[in-house]
Amino acid sequence: MKNSNAYYHILRTVAVLQILSLAACKEEAFSPMQTREFSIPSVLTGATYNIKVGLPSHFDASTGGYAAIYVLDGEENFALVANQCQEISNARETQNVLVVSIGYGRDRNMDYTPTATGMGTTGGAPEFLNFIKNELIPKMEQDFGAATTRESRTVLGHSFGGLFATYAFAHDNDLFGNYIMLSPSIWYDNEVVLKYESQNRAVNKDQRQLVYLGQGEMENAGRMQAPFEAFYEIIGKNYSDVRLTKNLEKQLDHVGSKNPNIRKGLNFYFQNR
Amino acid sequence: MKTLTIISFLLFLTCTIGFAQPTSLGKYPARTLTVEPGIGIHTNFGTDLLLSTLVQWTPEPHVSFASHSSFNINNITQREFNNIKTNYNYSLNQKFGVGTTLYAKRSSHSFFLMAGAKYTAYKETLHNPDFVPVSSAISSWSPDYGMMYSLKKGWKKYFFTFRMYLPLYPWPMKGSDINYSDSNMNNVALEFGVGIKLK
Repeated sequence: MKNSNAYYHILRTVAVLQILSLAACKEEAFSPMQTREFSIPSVLTGATYNIKVGLPSHFDASTGGYAAIYVLDGEENFALVANQCQEISNARETQNVLVVSIGYGRDRNMDYTPTATGMGTTGGAPEFLNFIKNELIPKMEQDFGAATTRESRTVLGHSFGGLFATYAFAHDNDLFGNYIMLSPSIWYDNEVVLKYESQNRAVNKDQRQLVYLGQGEMENAGRMQAPFEAFYEIIGKNYSDVRLTKNLEKQLDHVGSKNPNIRKGLNFYFQNR
Repeated sequence: MKTLTIISFLLFLTCTIGFAQPTSLGKYPARTLTVEPGIGIHTNFGTDLLLSTLVQWTPEPHVSFASHSSFNINNITQREFNNIKTNYNYSLNQKFGVGTTLYAKRSSHSFFLMAGAKYTAYKETLHNPDFVPVSSAISSWSPDYGMMYSLKKGWKKYFFTFRMYLPLYPWPMKGSDINYSDSNMNNVALEFGVGIKLK
Protein backbone atom coordinates (compact mmCIF):
# COMPACT_ATOMS: atom_id res chain seq x y z
CA MET A 1 0.00 0.00 0.00
CA LYS A 2 2.91 2.31 0.86
CA ASN A 3 4.48 1.68 -2.58
CA SER A 4 1.16 2.28 -4.26
CA ASN A 5 0.82 5.70 -2.55
CA ALA A 6 4.32 6.69 -3.63
CA TYR A 7 3.51 5.64 -7.17
CA TYR A 8 0.41 7.83 -7.35
CA HIS A 9 2.30 10.69 -5.68
CA ILE A 10 4.92 10.58 -8.48
CA LEU A 11 2.26 10.64 -11.17
CA ARG A 12 0.49 13.58 -9.55
CA THR A 13 3.80 15.44 -9.38
CA VAL A 14 4.35 14.83 -13.10
CA ALA A 15 0.87 16.25 -13.79
CA VAL A 16 1.54 19.38 -11.74
CA LEU A 17 4.95 19.93 -13.37
CA GLN A 18 3.37 19.63 -16.79
CA ILE A 19 0.72 22.23 -15.95
CA LEU A 20 3.47 24.58 -14.70
CA SER A 21 5.54 24.04 -17.86
CA LEU A 22 2.53 25.07 -19.97
CA ALA A 23 2.29 28.30 -18.01
CA ALA A 24 5.89 29.02 -19.04
CA CYS A 25 4.93 29.21 -22.75
CA LYS A 26 4.88 32.87 -23.78
CA GLU A 27 5.11 34.78 -27.00
CA GLU A 28 8.36 36.57 -27.78
CA ALA A 29 8.27 40.36 -28.16
CA PHE A 30 10.75 43.04 -29.23
CA SER A 31 11.06 46.37 -27.45
CA PRO A 32 8.26 48.71 -28.65
CA MET A 33 10.64 51.64 -28.03
CA GLN A 34 12.91 50.33 -30.77
CA THR A 35 10.16 49.39 -33.21
CA ARG A 36 8.63 51.52 -35.96
CA GLU A 37 5.58 50.42 -37.93
CA PHE A 38 4.09 51.63 -41.18
CA SER A 39 2.00 50.39 -44.08
CA ILE A 40 3.14 50.59 -47.66
CA PRO A 41 0.71 50.19 -50.55
CA SER A 42 2.35 48.54 -53.53
CA VAL A 43 1.54 49.56 -57.04
CA LEU A 44 3.40 46.51 -58.31
CA THR A 45 1.49 43.83 -56.35
CA GLY A 46 -1.72 45.76 -55.68
CA ALA A 47 -1.51 44.91 -51.98
CA THR A 48 -0.67 46.86 -48.83
CA TYR A 49 2.09 45.49 -46.63
CA ASN A 50 2.52 46.10 -42.93
CA ILE A 51 6.16 46.76 -42.22
CA LYS A 52 7.83 46.67 -38.82
CA VAL A 53 11.35 47.92 -38.42
CA GLY A 54 13.52 46.86 -35.49
CA LEU A 55 16.00 49.64 -34.83
CA PRO A 56 19.53 49.34 -33.50
CA SER A 57 20.36 50.98 -30.16
CA HIS A 58 21.19 54.69 -30.53
CA PHE A 59 19.54 54.67 -33.96
CA ASP A 60 19.96 57.87 -35.95
CA ALA A 61 18.56 57.83 -39.48
CA SER A 62 20.69 60.79 -40.52
CA THR A 63 23.85 58.78 -39.80
CA GLY A 64 22.89 56.28 -42.49
CA GLY A 65 24.82 53.23 -43.60
CA TYR A 66 22.76 50.68 -41.71
CA ALA A 67 22.75 47.11 -42.95
CA ALA A 68 19.26 45.63 -43.21
CA ILE A 69 17.75 42.18 -42.89
CA TYR A 70 14.50 41.74 -44.79
CA VAL A 71 12.41 39.13 -42.96
CA LEU A 72 9.69 37.19 -44.78
CA ASP A 73 6.69 35.89 -42.85
CA GLY A 74 7.53 38.91 -40.76
CA GLU A 75 4.46 38.70 -38.55
CA GLU A 76 5.74 35.38 -37.21
CA ASN A 77 9.47 35.97 -37.21
CA PHE A 78 10.09 39.64 -36.44
CA ALA A 79 10.51 39.51 -32.66
CA LEU A 80 12.87 36.54 -32.68
CA VAL A 81 15.03 37.99 -35.45
CA ALA A 82 15.14 41.47 -33.90
CA ASN A 83 16.01 40.14 -30.43
CA GLN A 84 18.66 37.81 -31.82
CA CYS A 85 20.27 40.58 -33.87
CA GLN A 86 20.43 42.80 -30.81
CA GLU A 87 21.85 40.01 -28.67
CA ILE A 88 24.47 38.95 -31.22
CA SER A 89 25.57 42.48 -32.08
CA ASN A 90 25.88 43.33 -28.37
CA ALA A 91 27.93 40.20 -27.73
CA ARG A 92 30.19 40.92 -30.70
CA GLU A 93 30.31 44.65 -29.92
CA THR A 94 29.44 45.45 -33.50
CA GLN A 95 26.91 47.69 -35.23
CA ASN A 96 23.43 46.18 -35.21
CA VAL A 97 21.21 46.05 -38.29
CA LEU A 98 17.77 47.25 -39.27
CA VAL A 99 15.37 44.31 -39.06
CA VAL A 100 12.68 44.88 -41.67
CA SER A 101 9.68 42.64 -41.15
CA ILE A 102 7.48 42.28 -44.22
CA GLY A 103 3.94 41.37 -43.23
CA TYR A 104 1.42 39.61 -45.41
CA GLY A 105 -0.03 41.72 -48.20
CA ARG A 106 -1.33 39.06 -50.51
CA ASP A 107 -1.45 35.35 -49.80
CA ARG A 108 2.10 34.19 -48.97
CA ASN A 109 1.69 31.36 -51.46
CA MET A 110 1.19 34.04 -54.10
CA ASP A 111 4.01 36.34 -53.05
CA TYR A 112 6.68 33.74 -52.38
CA THR A 113 6.30 31.36 -55.35
CA PRO A 114 7.98 32.16 -58.66
CA THR A 115 5.62 30.37 -61.04
CA ALA A 116 1.91 29.64 -61.27
CA THR A 117 1.10 25.98 -60.71
CA GLY A 118 -2.00 24.07 -59.76
CA MET A 119 -1.29 24.67 -56.05
CA GLY A 120 -3.90 27.38 -55.50
CA THR A 121 -3.00 31.02 -56.01
CA THR A 122 0.68 31.07 -56.85
CA GLY A 123 3.29 32.69 -59.04
CA GLY A 124 3.54 36.25 -57.69
CA ALA A 125 7.21 36.25 -56.64
CA PRO A 126 8.40 38.36 -59.60
CA GLU A 127 6.04 41.22 -58.61
CA PHE A 128 6.82 40.78 -54.91
CA LEU A 129 10.55 40.95 -55.60
CA ASN A 130 9.99 44.11 -57.63
CA PHE A 131 7.98 45.54 -54.73
CA ILE A 132 10.92 44.96 -52.39
CA LYS A 133 13.38 46.33 -54.93
CA ASN A 134 11.52 49.39 -56.19
CA GLU A 135 9.21 50.38 -53.34
CA LEU A 136 10.36 49.02 -49.98
CA ILE A 137 14.13 49.30 -50.23
CA PRO A 138 14.05 52.91 -51.50
CA LYS A 139 11.81 53.83 -48.54
CA MET A 140 14.16 52.12 -46.11
CA GLU A 141 17.10 53.99 -47.60
CA GLN A 142 15.32 57.31 -47.54
CA ASP A 143 13.56 57.16 -44.16
CA PHE A 144 15.73 54.82 -42.08
CA GLY A 145 19.25 55.35 -43.34
CA ALA A 146 19.60 51.86 -44.81
CA ALA A 147 22.84 51.41 -46.70
CA THR A 148 22.57 51.31 -50.48
CA THR A 149 25.00 48.50 -51.25
CA ARG A 150 24.04 44.94 -52.18
CA GLU A 151 26.40 43.60 -49.47
CA SER A 152 24.44 45.46 -46.79
CA ARG A 153 21.17 43.69 -47.62
CA THR A 154 20.04 40.25 -46.37
CA VAL A 155 16.91 38.27 -47.07
CA LEU A 156 15.66 35.68 -44.56
CA GLY A 157 12.87 33.24 -45.35
CA HIS A 158 11.48 29.89 -44.28
CA SER A 159 9.66 27.26 -46.36
CA PHE A 160 8.02 29.14 -49.23
CA GLY A 161 9.87 32.16 -47.81
CA GLY A 162 13.08 30.13 -48.24
CA LEU A 163 11.99 29.38 -51.79
CA PHE A 164 11.60 33.11 -52.38
CA ALA A 165 15.13 33.69 -51.03
CA THR A 166 16.51 31.10 -53.47
CA TYR A 167 14.52 32.78 -56.24
CA ALA A 168 16.04 36.16 -55.33
CA PHE A 169 19.49 34.55 -55.30
CA ALA A 170 19.06 32.94 -58.69
CA HIS A 171 16.98 35.52 -60.52
CA ASP A 172 18.02 38.93 -59.18
CA ASN A 173 21.34 38.45 -57.48
CA ASP A 174 22.16 42.16 -57.55
CA LEU A 175 19.56 42.91 -54.89
CA PHE A 176 20.82 40.95 -51.86
CA GLY A 177 24.34 39.95 -50.96
CA ASN A 178 23.35 37.72 -48.03
CA TYR A 179 20.85 34.88 -47.89
CA ILE A 180 19.45 33.00 -44.91
CA MET A 181 17.44 30.21 -46.51
CA LEU A 182 15.55 27.98 -44.09
CA SER A 183 13.86 24.76 -45.23
CA PRO A 184 13.52 26.22 -48.74
CA SER A 185 10.84 24.56 -50.87
CA ILE A 186 13.23 24.01 -53.75
CA TRP A 187 11.04 21.11 -54.89
CA TYR A 188 8.45 23.66 -56.04
CA ASP A 189 7.39 23.32 -59.70
CA ASN A 190 9.94 20.62 -60.50
CA GLU A 191 12.80 22.58 -58.96
CA VAL A 192 12.26 25.62 -61.15
CA VAL A 193 14.62 27.75 -59.03
CA LEU A 194 17.49 25.41 -59.92
CA LYS A 195 16.77 26.15 -63.57
CA TYR A 196 16.88 29.90 -62.88
CA GLU A 197 20.16 29.44 -61.05
CA SER A 198 21.61 27.53 -63.99
CA GLN A 199 20.42 30.14 -66.52
CA ASN A 200 21.91 33.07 -64.55
CA ARG A 201 25.01 31.40 -63.16
CA ALA A 202 27.43 33.01 -65.58
CA VAL A 203 26.32 36.46 -64.42
CA ASN A 204 26.12 35.66 -60.71
CA LYS A 205 28.97 33.29 -60.00
CA ASP A 206 31.67 35.87 -59.37
CA GLN A 207 29.61 38.09 -57.07
CA ARG A 208 30.34 37.93 -53.37
CA GLN A 209 27.69 35.75 -51.68
CA LEU A 210 26.95 34.83 -48.09
CA VAL A 211 24.60 31.87 -47.93
CA TYR A 212 23.24 30.02 -44.90
CA LEU A 213 21.17 26.95 -45.69
CA GLY A 214 19.28 25.43 -42.77
CA GLN A 215 16.81 22.62 -42.52
CA GLY A 216 15.42 20.04 -40.09
CA GLU A 217 16.99 16.60 -40.01
CA MET A 218 13.55 15.02 -39.73
CA GLU A 219 12.07 16.65 -42.82
CA ASN A 220 11.58 13.26 -44.40
CA ALA A 221 8.42 13.74 -46.45
CA GLY A 222 10.26 12.86 -49.65
CA ARG A 223 10.84 16.34 -51.04
CA MET A 224 13.14 18.46 -48.89
CA GLN A 225 16.57 16.85 -48.48
CA ALA A 226 17.74 16.00 -51.99
CA PRO A 227 16.97 19.43 -53.56
CA PHE A 228 18.51 21.12 -50.50
CA GLU A 229 21.70 19.10 -50.98
CA ALA A 230 21.69 19.77 -54.72
CA PHE A 231 21.43 23.54 -54.18
CA TYR A 232 24.21 23.42 -51.58
CA GLU A 233 26.49 21.48 -53.96
CA ILE A 234 25.74 23.76 -56.91
CA ILE A 235 26.64 26.89 -54.95
CA GLY A 236 29.73 25.32 -53.39
CA LYS A 237 31.10 24.11 -56.73
CA ASN A 238 30.24 27.00 -59.01
CA TYR A 239 30.52 30.25 -57.05
CA SER A 240 33.99 31.68 -56.61
CA ASP A 241 33.44 34.17 -53.78
CA VAL A 242 30.93 32.50 -51.49
CA ARG A 243 30.75 32.06 -47.75
CA LEU A 244 28.51 29.05 -47.53
CA THR A 245 27.35 26.75 -44.77
CA LYS A 246 24.52 24.33 -44.19
CA ASN A 247 22.95 23.02 -41.02
CA LEU A 248 20.59 20.13 -40.42
CA GLU A 249 18.89 20.73 -37.09
CA LYS A 250 18.97 17.48 -35.12
CA GLN A 251 15.69 15.65 -34.49
CA LEU A 252 13.54 18.55 -35.68
CA ASP A 253 11.01 18.81 -38.46
CA HIS A 254 9.94 21.57 -40.87
CA VAL A 255 8.47 24.05 -38.39
CA GLY A 256 10.49 23.02 -35.34
CA SER A 257 13.81 23.64 -37.06
CA LYS A 258 12.92 27.21 -38.05
CA ASN A 259 13.85 29.12 -34.89
CA PRO A 260 17.11 27.25 -34.16
CA ASN A 261 18.14 27.85 -37.76
CA ILE A 262 17.22 31.54 -37.53
CA ARG A 263 19.58 31.83 -34.55
CA LYS A 264 22.39 29.96 -36.29
CA GLY A 265 21.83 31.77 -39.57
CA LEU A 266 22.06 35.17 -37.91
CA ASN A 267 25.22 34.14 -36.05
CA PHE A 268 26.73 33.02 -39.36
CA TYR A 269 25.79 36.35 -40.91
CA PHE A 270 27.30 38.47 -38.12
CA GLN A 271 30.47 36.38 -38.12
CA ASN A 272 31.02 36.54 -41.85
CA ARG A 273 29.46 39.72 -43.19
CA MET B 1 -5.16 25.60 -32.30
CA LYS B 2 -2.38 23.03 -32.58
CA THR B 3 -1.04 24.14 -29.22
CA LEU B 4 -4.44 23.87 -27.60
CA THR B 5 -4.90 20.38 -28.99
CA ILE B 6 -1.58 19.23 -27.60
CA ILE B 7 -2.20 20.84 -24.24
CA SER B 8 -5.62 19.25 -24.01
CA PHE B 9 -4.23 15.81 -24.83
CA LEU B 10 -1.41 16.15 -22.33
CA LEU B 11 -3.63 17.34 -19.54
CA PHE B 12 -6.23 14.70 -20.20
CA LEU B 13 -3.77 11.86 -20.26
CA THR B 14 -1.60 12.94 -17.38
CA CYS B 15 -4.47 13.83 -15.14
CA THR B 16 -6.20 10.59 -15.96
CA ILE B 17 -3.14 8.70 -14.86
CA GLY B 18 -2.08 10.94 -12.03
CA PHE B 19 -5.41 11.51 -10.34
CA ALA B 20 -7.08 8.17 -11.01
CA GLN B 21 -7.94 6.38 -7.80
CA PRO B 22 -7.33 2.65 -7.54
CA THR B 23 -10.57 0.72 -8.00
CA SER B 24 -11.49 -2.70 -6.87
CA LEU B 25 -11.07 -5.40 -9.48
CA GLY B 26 -14.17 -7.12 -8.21
CA LYS B 27 -15.42 -9.79 -10.56
CA TYR B 28 -13.21 -8.91 -13.54
CA PRO B 29 -10.46 -11.41 -14.34
CA ALA B 30 -6.91 -10.14 -14.35
CA ARG B 31 -4.40 -10.55 -17.14
CA THR B 32 -0.79 -10.51 -16.04
CA LEU B 33 1.02 -10.97 -19.36
CA THR B 34 -0.18 -10.08 -22.85
CA VAL B 35 1.39 -9.66 -26.26
CA GLU B 36 -0.39 -7.38 -28.72
CA PRO B 37 0.80 -7.20 -32.32
CA GLY B 38 -0.78 -4.44 -34.36
CA ILE B 39 -0.64 -2.15 -37.33
CA GLY B 40 -1.14 1.59 -37.37
CA ILE B 41 -0.55 5.00 -38.78
CA HIS B 42 0.89 8.30 -37.69
CA THR B 43 -1.50 11.22 -37.70
CA ASN B 44 0.58 13.09 -40.33
CA PHE B 45 -2.06 12.41 -42.96
CA GLY B 46 -1.62 8.67 -42.44
CA THR B 47 1.36 8.39 -44.75
CA ASP B 48 3.43 6.19 -42.42
CA LEU B 49 2.70 2.47 -41.90
CA LEU B 50 3.47 1.14 -38.42
CA LEU B 51 4.06 -2.53 -37.59
CA SER B 52 4.25 -2.85 -33.83
CA THR B 53 4.00 -5.06 -30.77
CA LEU B 54 3.11 -4.18 -27.21
CA VAL B 55 4.03 -6.57 -24.43
CA GLN B 56 2.30 -5.73 -21.16
CA TRP B 57 3.07 -7.18 -17.76
CA THR B 58 0.69 -6.40 -14.92
CA PRO B 59 2.15 -7.91 -11.73
CA GLU B 60 -0.33 -6.00 -9.54
CA PRO B 61 -3.85 -5.11 -10.66
CA HIS B 62 -3.06 -1.41 -10.95
CA VAL B 63 0.65 -1.55 -11.71
CA SER B 64 1.65 -2.30 -15.29
CA PHE B 65 4.86 -2.36 -17.26
CA ALA B 66 5.08 -2.26 -21.03
CA SER B 67 7.52 -2.81 -23.84
CA HIS B 68 6.61 -1.33 -27.21
CA SER B 69 8.51 -2.15 -30.40
CA SER B 70 7.73 -0.65 -33.75
CA PHE B 71 9.01 -0.76 -37.32
CA ASN B 72 7.70 2.16 -39.35
CA ILE B 73 7.74 2.44 -43.12
CA ASN B 74 7.58 6.20 -43.47
CA ASN B 75 5.91 8.16 -46.24
CA ILE B 76 4.83 4.93 -47.89
CA THR B 77 2.30 6.51 -50.23
CA GLN B 78 4.54 9.04 -51.95
CA ARG B 79 7.92 7.68 -53.01
CA GLU B 80 8.20 9.81 -56.15
CA PHE B 81 7.47 13.55 -56.16
CA ASN B 82 8.59 16.32 -58.53
CA ASN B 83 11.66 14.36 -59.72
CA ILE B 84 12.55 13.39 -56.15
CA LYS B 85 12.70 9.69 -55.42
CA THR B 86 12.61 8.28 -51.90
CA ASN B 87 15.04 5.36 -51.97
CA TYR B 88 14.18 4.22 -48.44
CA ASN B 89 12.58 5.73 -45.37
CA TYR B 90 12.02 3.83 -42.14
CA SER B 91 12.19 4.09 -38.36
CA LEU B 92 12.83 1.60 -35.58
CA ASN B 93 11.42 2.38 -32.15
CA GLN B 94 11.84 0.66 -28.82
CA LYS B 95 10.25 2.01 -25.65
CA PHE B 96 9.62 0.79 -22.14
CA GLY B 97 6.99 2.13 -19.83
CA VAL B 98 5.35 2.06 -16.44
CA GLY B 99 1.74 2.85 -15.78
CA THR B 100 -1.57 1.78 -14.41
CA THR B 101 -4.57 -0.21 -15.56
CA LEU B 102 -8.22 0.58 -14.91
CA TYR B 103 -10.89 -2.07 -15.38
CA ALA B 104 -14.42 -2.04 -16.78
CA LYS B 105 -16.96 -4.75 -17.42
CA ARG B 106 -15.80 -5.73 -20.90
CA SER B 107 -12.51 -3.90 -21.24
CA SER B 108 -9.42 -2.58 -19.55
CA HIS B 109 -7.66 0.74 -20.01
CA SER B 110 -3.92 1.13 -19.46
CA PHE B 111 -1.97 4.38 -19.31
CA PHE B 112 1.81 4.43 -19.53
CA LEU B 113 4.67 6.86 -19.34
CA MET B 114 7.12 5.58 -21.94
CA ALA B 115 10.81 6.15 -22.64
CA GLY B 116 13.11 4.70 -25.24
CA ALA B 117 14.93 5.42 -28.45
CA LYS B 118 14.13 5.90 -32.11
CA TYR B 119 16.33 5.32 -35.13
CA THR B 120 15.32 6.89 -38.43
CA ALA B 121 17.01 6.38 -41.80
CA TYR B 122 16.03 7.73 -45.17
CA LYS B 123 17.52 8.56 -48.53
CA GLU B 124 16.24 10.79 -51.32
CA THR B 125 17.57 11.27 -54.83
CA LEU B 126 16.90 14.24 -57.08
CA HIS B 127 16.83 12.92 -60.63
CA ASN B 128 15.67 15.97 -62.54
CA PRO B 129 16.75 15.34 -66.17
CA ASP B 130 18.17 18.88 -66.36
CA PHE B 131 20.71 18.27 -63.58
CA VAL B 132 23.24 15.75 -62.35
CA PRO B 133 21.52 13.36 -59.89
CA VAL B 134 22.13 14.25 -56.24
CA SER B 135 21.33 12.03 -53.26
CA SER B 136 20.99 12.82 -49.59
CA ALA B 137 20.97 10.13 -46.91
CA ILE B 138 20.12 10.76 -43.26
CA SER B 139 20.39 8.40 -40.31
CA SER B 140 19.56 9.64 -36.87
CA TRP B 141 19.09 8.42 -33.31
CA SER B 142 16.84 10.29 -30.96
CA PRO B 143 15.27 9.77 -27.54
CA ASP B 144 11.61 8.87 -27.55
CA TYR B 145 9.46 9.89 -24.58
CA GLY B 146 5.72 9.91 -24.42
CA MET B 147 2.41 8.69 -23.09
CA MET B 148 0.53 5.66 -24.25
CA TYR B 149 -3.07 4.69 -23.83
CA SER B 150 -3.96 1.05 -24.46
CA LEU B 151 -7.49 -0.31 -24.71
CA LYS B 152 -8.14 -4.02 -24.46
CA LYS B 153 -11.64 -5.10 -25.41
CA GLY B 154 -12.77 -8.55 -24.31
CA TRP B 155 -11.57 -10.95 -21.60
CA LYS B 156 -10.89 -14.12 -23.59
CA LYS B 157 -7.51 -15.44 -24.70
CA TYR B 158 -7.72 -13.31 -27.86
CA PHE B 159 -9.01 -9.78 -27.61
CA PHE B 160 -9.21 -6.56 -29.62
CA THR B 161 -6.58 -3.99 -28.81
CA PHE B 162 -6.19 -0.32 -29.65
CA ARG B 163 -3.46 2.02 -28.53
CA MET B 164 -2.58 5.66 -28.97
CA TYR B 165 0.88 7.10 -28.41
CA LEU B 166 1.47 10.77 -27.78
CA PRO B 167 5.16 11.75 -28.01
CA LEU B 168 6.67 14.21 -25.54
CA TYR B 169 9.77 14.64 -27.67
CA PRO B 170 11.11 16.95 -29.00
CA TRP B 171 8.57 19.21 -27.24
CA PRO B 172 8.85 19.80 -24.32
CA MET B 173 11.73 17.46 -23.44
CA LYS B 174 14.25 18.83 -25.98
CA GLY B 175 13.13 22.44 -25.57
CA SER B 176 10.15 24.62 -24.75
CA ASP B 177 9.82 26.17 -28.24
CA ILE B 178 6.24 25.27 -29.13
CA ASN B 179 7.25 24.97 -32.79
CA TYR B 180 9.05 21.77 -31.85
CA SER B 181 5.62 20.19 -31.42
CA ASP B 182 5.55 19.92 -35.21
CA SER B 183 7.57 16.73 -34.77
CA ASN B 184 5.41 15.53 -31.87
CA MET B 185 2.27 15.89 -33.94
CA ASN B 186 3.85 14.04 -36.85
CA ASN B 187 4.49 11.07 -34.59
CA VAL B 188 1.20 10.64 -32.78
CA ALA B 189 0.46 6.97 -33.41
CA LEU B 190 -2.82 5.10 -33.66
CA GLU B 191 -2.53 1.31 -33.69
CA PHE B 192 -5.01 -1.59 -33.84
CA GLY B 193 -4.50 -5.30 -33.43
CA VAL B 194 -5.37 -8.60 -31.80
CA GLY B 195 -4.00 -9.22 -28.33
CA ILE B 196 -3.09 -12.58 -26.89
CA LYS B 197 -3.31 -13.39 -23.18
CA LEU B 198 -0.26 -15.45 -22.20
CA LYS B 199 -0.87 -15.52 -18.41
